[in-house]
Amino acid sequence: MNQLLNPGEKVQTLSTEFSYEVEAFLGGGGQGEVYRARPVARKGAHTPVALKWFFPHYVRLDPNLRARLEHAIDTGPPSDRFLWPQALLHGGVKQSDFGYVMPLREERFVGITDLVTRQTVPTFRALVTAGFELAHNYLQLHARGFCYRDISFGNVFFDPASGEIQICDNDNVSVDDGRGGAIRGTPRFMAPEIVRGEVGPDTQTDLFSLAVLLFYMLINHHPLEGAKETQISIFDPQAMTYLYGTSPQFIFDPDDESNRPLPGYHDNALALWDLYPHFVQDLFVLTFTEGLHYPEKRARENQWSNALIRLRDSIFYCQHCSNENFYSPGALDDSDGNSSVCWSCKSSHRLPPRMRIDGKDVVMLNHDTLLYPHHFNAEHSFNFEVPVAEVAQHPKNPRVWGLRNHSEEKWTSQNAAGEVKDVEPGKTVTLSSGLRIQFGSREGEVRL
Amino acid sequence: MPKLPGGPLARKPLHFIWIADCSGSMGYGGKIQSLNFAIRNALPAMQEVAKENPNAEVMVRAVKFSSGASWHVANPVPVEQFKWDDLEATTGVTEMGKALQLVAAQLDQTIIPQRALPPVLVLISDGQPTDDVSAGLRDLMAQPLGEKAVRIAIAIGEDADTSVLQRFIGHPELEPLQANNAQSLVRFIRWVSTSVLKEVSSPEIPGPNPNPEEKRPFPPLPDPTTGPDEDDW
Repeated sequence: MNQLLNPGEKVQTLSTEFSYEVEAFLGGGGQGEVYRARPVARKGAHTPVALKWFFPHYVRLDPNLRARLEHAIDTGPPSDRFLWPQALLHGGVKQSDFGYVMPLREERFVGITDLVTRQTVPTFRALVTAGFELAHNYLQLHARGFCYRDISFGNVFFDPASGEIQICDNDNVSVDDGRGGAIRGTPRFMAPEIVRGEVGPDTQTDLFSLAVLLFYMLINHHPLEGAKETQISIFDPQAMTYLYGTSPQFIFDPDDESNRPLPGYHDNALALWDLYPHFVQDLFVLTFTEGLHYPEKRARENQWSNALIRLRDSIFYCQHCSNENFYSPGALDDSDGNSSVCWSCKSSHRLPPRMRIDGKDVVMLNHDTLLYPHHFNAEHSFNFEVPVAEVAQHPKNPRVWGLRNHSEEKWTSQNAAGEVKDVEPGKTVTLSSGLRIQFGSREGEVRL
Repeated sequence: MPKLPGGPLARKPLHFIWIADCSGSMGYGGKIQSLNFAIRNALPAMQEVAKENPNAEVMVRAVKFSSGASWHVANPVPVEQFKWDDLEATTGVTEMGKALQLVAAQLDQTIIPQRALPPVLVLISDGQPTDDVSAGLRDLMAQPLGEKAVRIAIAIGEDADTSVLQRFIGHPELEPLQANNAQSLVRFIRWVSTSVLKEVSSPEIPGPNPNPEEKRPFPPLPDPTTGPDEDDW
């Protein structure tokens, strides 16, 4: 299958003359081929790596490739979620032949293609976590002055159990200086201004591609494929230029219903869009209405990170069928706490206990909810490493639920009757309606 | 088991049709055997490309022609289930026009549902057509799906009629691929099964490109290369 290297072949790093031995062909693409390889005779360094080797014709097409990779290697990965180039390699025969090593993707990660084809069905929690991780890690990349250029199905992988992601194909990553490489992006993910041939990829076009990828992940549909595309009989490049470039129209544009999804053609869009609270829908609307024409209007990574964590905190389980649903703000103010019905079994929602933090975001307190420094301390936004609180059932009375303090700080609670209690680390406070808990600088208010 | 609403991503059909010469001359020098090997060899990579492009539902079939033309694989088979049954060379002539008519009839949009990706038609021949190719080409181009199809031609050996193959391609920037030995044939078949398939599933969208010389109608061709001359057909 492979054309470039053979098992057993050795290649060397450019700088240290350190060798890797090719073990197996893993896959090929338009730029080159990827192999599994192992360091040769180096103490303690037996961890296999991924080795990418470029097609000579691709190296000729992309003259900045080598300089781009050298810069990426010098800079280092923006976070541990990137399978980042580690060292350039050469095979020795021809100067033009080269490749690089990077960490090998672990087997627990699957492609977004497995998700959209539903060969992998994660929980909403894992799915939303993956979406958050994408936005959060592309922010780290952009913050270093890089743009990714090709955010799409093919180069993001996720762990369906946890939602952890890995971002591959980082050899297109370049400093956002308008020069970059030969890659314009992947059709259906490219911003309209790239499709029209007006500009090349940059950070603003990355934001468009990120929103398309998130839309595919959450809605399992393309945001511009509605009634208009059903009029197209042959999807040739001209038709795609029209749909994604010269005449793009969001299927849920609040001010223009002409491109709405149609039953029988766009069933996923119809089934999934309404499940999401307005704070998620709003970011898609922003990006795919004004943001189609004004790149600076597109939702930014941080807006996505905040909205997706809020979305994850909104998950609760249907009491009838135990499938995950999302709480929509506003329902908390209803007298009975019931807003609508479960998407799966159609029974009326009964909300679990929930907590509003600092009068703003609401966290569902499910039987398995964990709270993190992110929730309790503004200085620790997006810190989800070690939980500082968990929902716990009373050991003797299973109808009584509490919140256990796993932090190292004492909390102070006050119930609706005005009783004040300290909640020492390791202790649990019983959940009751109107309970207020002071965690350091923040306050949570509980509703049942 | 976790459960999500909705179903798999909606896909659009992409018809991929092999159109293979099985005339008498294909029986010499191992040509037909090489063709069978090349198509079978490329299939796993083709399935991999299809898997990576979830917007397209790749459906494969095959036409064979010699004295007359017939479907070798008549019903479109999803590429993930496709298996290649060997073609055999006949003692017949090269009725390429009839093969194109057969394909044209099946590309009629009353037969293929609306909303398809452009089909990929791969014509493989080692000789001079013996029937009215112009009639076949006319019928093919009369179908919108035939006209919009990505048409690739592979000439096996020096005796193939490249001018006819060029008319079939109908694109000035893409010439017939000249496979003068088994190794080249394997490479070309792999290229159409992977790079071309990927390009049609997910096309590099043209636009008013500021650097028109960078624009290529198709992904880069593999080098034909290669083996020692004595292996040539």
